Amino acid sequence: MLRDLVFASLLVIIILALTYLTYSGGLGDLPPRDVRVIASNYLNLTYNQGITWLWAASPEAVTAIVWDYRGLDTLFETVVFYGAILAALTLFRSVSKVPEFVSSAGLSLVVKRVTAIVTLAILAVAASTALHGHLTPGGGFQGGAIASVAPLLLLVVFGKQFFIERRISYSKLLTIRNASLALLGFTSVALLILGFLTGFQAYIFQNQAKTVSTLSYPPYLLDVPLGGSLFFFNLFEFLAVASGFTLVFTILLSRDETLRKELEGEELGY
Amino acid sequence: MDIELIKFMFMLTTISLYFNVAISLYGVVSKTNLVKKLIALTIFQDTVNMFTILIGYKLWRPGLLLQPPVLTDLSPTPETLREFVERSVDPLPQAFVLTAVVIGLAVTLFLTTIILHVSYHFKTVNVDEIGRSKRVYIHEEAV
Amino acid sequence: MMDYVDLVFLIMGISALSSVLFTFLTVKTKDLMYAVVFSSVQSVAYALIYFLLLAPDIVLVYVAVSVGIYPLIVILLVKKVGRYEVVT
Repeated sequence: MLRDLVFASLLVIIILALTYLTYSGGLGDLPPRDVRVIASNYLNLTYNQGITWLWAASPEAVTAIVWDYRGLDTLFETVVFYGAILAALTLFRSVSKVPEFVSSAGLSLVVKRVTAIVTLAILAVAASTALHGHLTPGGGFQGGAIASVAPLLLLVVFGKQFFIERRISYSKLLTIRNASLALLGFTSVALLILGFLTGFQAYIFQNQAKTVSTLSYPPYLLDVPLGGSLFFFNLFEFLAVASGFTLVFTILLSRDETLRKELEGEELGY
Repeated sequence: MDIELIKFMFMLTTISLYFNVAISLYGVVSKTNLVKKLIALTIFQDTVNMFTILIGYKLWRPGLLLQPPVLTDLSPTPETLREFVERSVDPLPQAFVLTAVVIGLAVTLFLTTIILHVSYHFKTVNVDEIGRSKRVYIHEEAV
Repeated sequence: MMDYVDLVFLIMGISALSSVLFTFLTVKTKDLMYAVVFSSVQSVAYALIYFLLLAPDIVLVYVAVSVGIYPLIVILLVKKVGRYEVVT
């Protein structure tokens, strides 16, 4: 009780000090007068057809920075996401081995028909957001998060019997996820391997042609900018994120007795 | 266009974000339920991301129209490109916040499975009671 | 007279103030379902501020994650663990 009071009063003192400093101009001009030099540099280079040895072939600056100019950061973020989902699935290993036998009828007929129509719309919006990531705001992760709502709705409205009848099993989803992550890694070193085989020089995470290497992904598809490797990165990230979330929801929506079976034998001390 | 009103509203947003940080930190440290700590932790992460994007904004001036960092012309001339660079807001904080949101989501998913395991093992999610029963365990093992 | 630029910043200030109110209600309440709902309303206020700060990529990620996936996972947890917070 005393500890709570001391902590609360410390927080109030810190807030008052920070408010006074911000009000009297401690953070500089709020909002700032102009963007930084490095930001205007990236904005100038991202779709500039006059400087084709440094461009990224996509009119969307944020996607170009995430997957081309600072691509190594995104690679490690994908690794962290993969590791966290792996840890969450390992803690409930026995649930995934044996499929649970439920006989659930789902909700009423009206809800089932409406859900069937809405699920198609959700999948269309998610695919459009993911595949147009180099032309409009959007991208792989946004499309994957939207697309993971559709299997969740199907699980809740139709019951688990729906997935078991259509044989969408745990190992199939795991296969989709591992395959799309492997293809993501392959896309980032594809030009390097091609450079080894043909004798040209190339870099890791290379998107367009630079001054010393002439290999590049195609920047245009008929007459629309394709963004080079950004299109493939968005597609594979979309598949990986959607299947990863579906796996976690399938485990967490099981019954209580099935989840408690993970911990049996603990009173004997394993 | 009233420059004083704009600056005052921006400063009001910054100060209310300070309040949010303080309230959510108090919730993480002083509440004894594990689920309440998880909810307050997510609010804390979201507020810090908001600070990062506030820094990337730009001051309005009469005659300057701001634009998000997306080029809408698919075959730009050099004049269009120069205008785009002058008008657009900063794209670098947005790229960083995308990564930060994904990592925060991964940590929250992992914490949820850990809380489930803890509640099945100790039969409670109150931090004080878990501490008390762990002391009983250690005392029994030592004796 | 009031320009539309002033209106944009006025809405930003009002959303920020309402998010403080909902954060305080989230931390104070003892019913965990109410805490989840208040946290979602605060996320909607934040999404409005992100939109007014001209960051459309972040709005898409934030709405899908913080109004769609976080409340789902916390409601599953609350149903398996216990709804009311016990203070001794």
